Amino acid sequence: MSARAETIRQVQEIGVDQYQYGFETNIESEKAPKGLDENIIRYISDRKQEPQWMLEWRLSAYNRWLKIKEPTWSRLQYPPIAFQDYHYYATPKNIDQNMLPQSLEDVDPELLVTYEKLGIPLREQEILAGVPEKDRVFSENLSRSGHVAVDAVFDSVSVITTFKKELAQVGIIFCSISEAIREHSDLVREYMGSVVPVADNFYSALNSSVFTDGSFVYVPKGVRCPMELSTYFRINERNTGQFERTLIIADEGAYVSYLEGCTAPQRDENQLHAAVVELIVFKNAEIKYSTVQNWYPGDKEGRGGIYNFVTKRGDCRGSHSKISWTQVETGSALTWKYPSCLLKGDHSRGEFYSIAVSNGYQQIDSGSKMIHLGKNTSSRIISKGISAGFSSNTYRGKVSAHRQAKNARNFTQCDSLLIGHDCSAHTIPYIEAKNAQVQFEHEATTSKISDEQLFYIMQRGILEEEAMALLVNGFVHEVIQKLPMEFAVEAQKLISISLEGSIG
Amino acid sequence: MLIDRTQAEEAIIENFLNSDSLPNLLFPREMREAAMAAFKEHGFPSRKRESWHYTDLRNKLTRISSYSDDHNDGRPILPLILGNVLFSVVNGKAVSNSVLPPVFCTPLALSPSRALNILRDFSITNVISQVNTAFASDGWRINVQKDVFLDNIIEIQNLQNGGQSHTCFSVSVAEDSRATILERQLGDDQESFLSSVSDIDLAEGAEVLWIIIRERGILSTELNRFYARLDKGARLKLVIINAGLHLLRQEVHIDLNGSRSDFQLRCINLLSGESHADTTMKIRHFARSTTSKEMIRNIATDTSCGVFQGMVQVLPTGQKTDAKMLCQSLILSKDAECHAKPELDIFADDILCGHGATFSTIDRNQLFYLMTRGLTFVQAKAVLVKCFIKEQIEGIGQEDIEKALHGVLDHWLFLHL
Repeated sequence: MSARAETIRQVQEIGVDQYQYGFETNIESEKAPKGLDENIIRYISDRKQEPQWMLEWRLSAYNRWLKIKEPTWSRLQYPPIAFQDYHYYATPKNIDQNMLPQSLEDVDPELLVTYEKLGIPLREQEILAGVPEKDRVFSENLSRSGHVAVDAVFDSVSVITTFKKELAQVGIIFCSISEAIREHSDLVREYMGSVVPVADNFYSALNSSVFTDGSFVYVPKGVRCPMELSTYFRINERNTGQFERTLIIADEGAYVSYLEGCTAPQRDENQLHAAVVELIVFKNAEIKYSTVQNWYPGDKEGRGGIYNFVTKRGDCRGSHSKISWTQVETGSALTWKYPSCLLKGDHSRGEFYSIAVSNGYQQIDSGSKMIHLGKNTSSRIISKGISAGFSSNTYRGKVSAHRQAKNARNFTQCDSLLIGHDCSAHTIPYIEAKNAQVQFEHEATTSKISDEQLFYIMQRGILEEEAMALLVNGFVHEVIQKLPMEFAVEAQKLISISLEGSIG
Repeated sequence: MLIDRTQAEEAIIENFLNSDSLPNLLFPREMREAAMAAFKEHGFPSRKRESWHYTDLRNKLTRISSYSDDHNDGRPILPLILGNVLFSVVNGKAVSNSVLPPVFCTPLALSPSRALNILRDFSITNVISQVNTAFASDGWRINVQKDVFLDNIIEIQNLQNGGQSHTCFSVSVAEDSRATILERQLGDDQESFLSSVSDIDLAEGAEVLWIIIRERGILSTELNRFYARLDKGARLKLVIINAGLHLLRQEVHIDLNGSRSDFQLRCINLLSGESHADTTMKIRHFARSTTSKEMIRNIATDTSCGVFQGMVQVLPTGQKTDAKMLCQSLILSKDAECHAKPELDIFADDILCGHGATFSTIDRNQLFYLMTRGLTFVQAKAVLVKCFIKEQIEGIGQEDIEKALHGVLDHWLFLHL
């Protein structure tokens, strides 16, 4: 079945407010008491067996968080968040932080089933890769087979990271951030908070004080990571918040492609997800960071859904370094997210490709920031927003060239598509040029699906619903192309499901 | 709540306390006091206020010129085009005796009831209205009757050579009438502080070409608010040329209330020295099948700064809207800067809206090409800059006006390139 036919089929089969990943895993868990204070932070740090410096870092972040006001400038409307009503730590009971599973054999089968249902067959991946027998020819085999190393995060803990040993053979460190804090303390201490400072904003300060897990990647000099690295985030427990922290470092001449996915059960109450992602890229290195965000978006009446507040920032520190953000945002009741690039190195490059789909009562305020600091830097922003139902979809971006950023180049295109009378689309770009040798181009459009295009396709014998799906797919095609193959298919399906009830 | 007042804020408040000694205050005491209460609460906006993000008035406005009668000889200057009918304000006081039979024109000081109808909004962001309401002394009320096609251009002059003044202009154009209004904001190099509010009503089928030419001195600060409401089928074309000023905030607020109404803006900011010109615009499409098109061109030299903030808002009732907005900036010196924030705020689905923004300097290849043809560097630069901005004044459809506007541009290019 072609991708388009598949899209149509899924749209037809699934009800308006169906969410494919809304099931709950019945697994006993251990939770920190509700609320947030210094004792909770000590509890988290203690459970993670962190060094003293990390505890102090968290406590300092907490004290800064208490002094920062919650931002109100976005176009998101939501009742006040009761931060003291959340559990800031939840972990499946049979996972012992002292004895983390070393292989898939040690992982609770219930968790493996959960990831299987989510389309992440961890075991199958490893078997197919034939890892144990073929360690010696690892890089050649795996890069050919196109497998993905996965860090699976369940509530507040990383339950397993696959292909760790194999990656270590080429010098790549890929593990949970908790493990990295214990095992690679010097690296983490040097780089964490160097791109997103603790008090950068309200949610980064909150994350810095209570983050529980996430991924850590270090790719050494001259190494091209032989497989895609991936983290899959799952919120399962009720009344919990998930606070992921991801740190990726690509040393000189290194390359890594990292994928991130996320889902949550279907519940009537709102849950909080506040993440911080930091990327550091040195000379001639490149990080490609792709996200398919599919948190539970709430039901058709706007009940429930995840509040998603994310600070993502990359720092191009060396010359000719490159960061590419690609994101498909289909989930979450609220999305507050602005992946950014600090283009410090001369000739460095930042890219941002985004598809943001909102339906029902979803609210998205997302975009990108490209800060040109070095000479001959360039950036590109392609953002496609699709609003349907009663949703609100905002692109908010910033492109700036500082005094020394001679020959800075930027091209920005943000297009919005409106499907239905009750949704809205907003475009708020900030463009700042502080020297004469810049070349910035920005263009934006907002429209509905063109009647002429629809008519043209239908004239060829294609039904209206199919024609509409075809046009939507065409609208986002440029961004989908930038996704790794594994995500591209999933992303296309997600878009069609997210727009269910709106097309046709 | 404002804690530390700046010197400029203190001066405004002190002026208000002494305002009983000022002649011809236009608005009743209660209105002025309400405006001043709002000002006292918030003061001049800083960059923390979103709509003033690029114009930190609180820090930029270090002092306010005092009122003075010494700087003016009390006479208007010659019209830009021979035959224009003059309605002048000199040092904050309407002075002309012009008569244009099919048009009802009167100084606002003589008809304060009309001034009261001018929409007054003391919201936190509207510092221009706050200051203007507190101190406005005069201006013109111009009422173009129904079915009138004016051959003569109405020239409004606001002349301020140093000192301080606050003026209002209230213009209404009745059904199916046509008028051309030329507004000239003029002054010399003495320090001055002005606020000006224009309030325009276009009835069904009315058509107006409104041109604002601003040629003030290097020490002049102006806060200007232009607010127009368009009824069914009305058309407004606004051309703005800013060719001299120290600090300018030009706000343009347009409400397209009637179906098939149309608004077009052409704006040229010619910036030199330490000029800071902020053009902030909000177009609201309330009715079906309305159209708008805005083109802004900034030329920034020396250490000047050009700012454009534009928002096109389409309300749920504004189906079939077609709106376009384009801001292009040419930065000609290493210390000049330009900022743009073009926004779309869309609440209706059957619309077509777009905006674009570009920033660059002069293309070296184009310069080289012209210089190989014998032009000097300066001449080549002037030709390219002129080409960049002249599109803005082409297509106005009135030859004498286009010629006059070309004159303004050429004069600036001669002085600053």
